[in-house]
Amino acid sequence: MNCLQIELIYLYLEKELSPSELKEIEEHLFACPKCREQVEERRLLLQAAETLPEFEVPPDFTKKVMSRIFPAKASFFGWRVILGTAFSFLFLSVILIFLALNKNLPNFLLSFILTLGNSVKNMAVIFVKFFKLASLFFKILFHFLGELSRMFSLLTTLISPEIVILVFVAAFILVLSSIYGIRSKFLAGEKL
Amino acid sequence: MDEDIKLVKKTLKGQKKAFEMIIRKYQRPLINYIGRMVGERELALDFSQEVFIKAYSSLHTFQPQYKFSTWLYKIASNYIIDYWRKKKVQHLSLDHYQEAENECLPLQIPDDEPSIVKKFELSQIREKIEKTLSMIPTQLRELFVWRHVNGLSYEEIAEIKGLPVGTVKNRVFQAKEMIRQSLEEKP
Repeated sequence: MNCLQIELIYLYLEKELSPSELKEIEEHLFACPKCREQVEERRLLLQAAETLPEFEVPPDFTKKVMSRIFPAKASFFGWRVILGTAFSFLFLSVILIFLALNKNLPNFLLSFILTLGNSVKNMAVIFVKFFKLASLFFKILFHFLGELSRMFSLLTTLISPEIVILVFVAAFILVLSSIYGIRSKFLAGEKL
Repeated sequence: MDEDIKLVKKTLKGQKKAFEMIIRKYQRPLINYIGRMVGERELALDFSQEVFIKAYSSLHTFQPQYKFSTWLYKIASNYIIDYWRKKKVQHLSLDHYQEAENECLPLQIPDDEPSIVKKFELSQIREKIEKTLSMIPTQLRELFVWRHVNGLSYEEIAEIKGLPVGTVKNRVFQAKEMIRQSLEEKP
């Protein structure tokens, strides 16, 4: 038998050969030190490849994947407990106030409900106004920032970067001195 | 019935715990396979998460006549290929390699064949293999990792890639000899 083909050496090492092929190769290896040497060479390579260090798996890996597949939902039972507790506290507070004031129960309950209704109505109006004002403020702010960035990009295309930096430094000094001037005017006559 | 098939069926019936068991079983081999393909642990962790999520969402398409592990590796392999394609990541293609290198790999042991591997300690060989893996064509690297890191059979690899077993054996052989030869070249 001729010397072994390299592919055959690998298949021999991986036990991928038929019993007859295996017998033939073992007989050859017994007689051929050159092939024995090459088998040992490849055996070492495979041994190293099969014992490469493993990538470390974080302990919370499974949990992370599961939480992405099944996002946590607040259970209906949980919500019922929160609402139940809130109503219990409200009811208990009403009873305590009623006992402390020592008034007629139907009249007291009626006035309580009316006061609560009015409070909710007033708060709702305040909230609506607040959100309207906030949205208007952000609209103006975004518009202002957009204009500012447009102005800045226009400035950089017209003037060289050194002059732009110079203009900004001058503007900064101007703003600082204005603030200092205003502050001095307001504090005139006061002891610092 | 195969344990994996049972877990898949339980998952499809709504038992979350069954899919958790699947993740626990395959997280390590999957991360090791992806890690060796992309070369970064953090990226491998992210990709493995995505592969498990993809596997869960298409679990109803899994056919029980195939092995679950090969199906999962197929998803992972496609995911990596898609990532490389989308990001236009440069990776060594087998086509480029075959023209230049294939003829250089000897089939027979040359008479003056020096001992390359035996010069090094086992730990040194491991280090060199890690470095060399990124330099061999991705198609060869993938098959090498499945065979010698993940311990899959040639038949399983052939099933994943849809290639004849003989082609898989030949490509894994090419990968091993390329790695062996590059051990000599590396300082």
